[in-house]
Amino acid sequence: MAYPFQLGLQDATSPIMEELLHFHDHALMIVFLISSLVLYIISLMLTTKLTHTSTMDAQEVETVWTILPAIILILIALPSLRILYMMDEINNPSLTVKTMGHQWYWSYEYTDYEDLNFDSYMIPTQELKPGELRLLEVDNRVVLPMEMTIRMLISSEDVLHSWAVPSLGLKTDAIPGRLNQTTLMAMRPGLYYGQCSEICGSNHSFMPIVLEMVPLSYFETWSALMV
Amino acid sequence: MLSQIIGQTKEHPALIPFFLFIGAGGTGAAMYVLHLALFNPDISWDRKNNPEFWNKLGPNDQYKFYLVNVDYSKLKKGGPDF
Repeated sequence: MAYPFQLGLQDATSPIMEELLHFHDHALMIVFLISSLVLYIISLMLTTKLTHTSTMDAQEVETVWTILPAIILILIALPSLRILYMMDEINNPSLTVKTMGHQWYWSYEYTDYEDLNFDSYMIPTQELKPGELRLLEVDNRVVLPMEMTIRMLISSEDVLHSWAVPSLGLKTDAIPGRLNQTTLMAMRPGLYYGQCSEICGSNHSFMPIVLEMVPLSYFETWSALMV
Repeated sequence: MLSQIIGQTKEHPALIPFFLFIGAGGTGAAMYVLHLALFNPDISWDRKNNPEFWNKLGPNDQYKFYLVNVDYSKLKKGGPDF
């Protein structure tokens, strides 16, 4: 989950998010290099007594500042496209879970083996127990088996919503009348928080998502209990 | 237009890399559109001889432009053969 004064992305829980983290480091390094170079040049420009009022032609510097940015852009585009195509791969999910966005809660359906449906409302701030996270906890968490590829089918019953879990690098819009698919694969157990990411009315900020990734045997016990 | 480009680069040689990159980018974009037109399974050029092109998809064909980890020709069927 996000923590106060956080500067970067949340720790990765899925392999795709790891790739995204490394790509973000790469792109941010390029951004820092360019920004510091520009800032340095500006400071040089502002603190020099030298002047040159008759510049007509600057072939060498123009060549450099055409080739260098083009190379930098290619260096950013190639990893980016690679990750984009990687996110779209076939991966043979072992489980399918459906989630429907409503105003203002999520409902989950696990219908592969039994008929398990439940709603997931945010816990109001007045009712939080000590240690729980404000505006992030829900009454029924989405319990899922870890280290297994899971297909998430996402849609909405009323207006646009978006099902997002930053730690897994997931964000998929919930569009009424349309079924969107994303794949989820968590490498470690734990609680992973996300929030609705598409404006959907007055309680848009109050419909979070909590994934509880557990070993497969725990998941089987839980789903037997919940039906 | 090519003579204009060559004329301009003779006067300003710094334009050479510019034209190279723009040319490569434009050619790449045009080639990608051509690739889509020729290989996208959603397209039929000859409605008479290829009426139901959406029915010709195979499980081991590659339809994506670029594959990172998956090799479609090596995918095996998950269920039993009947």
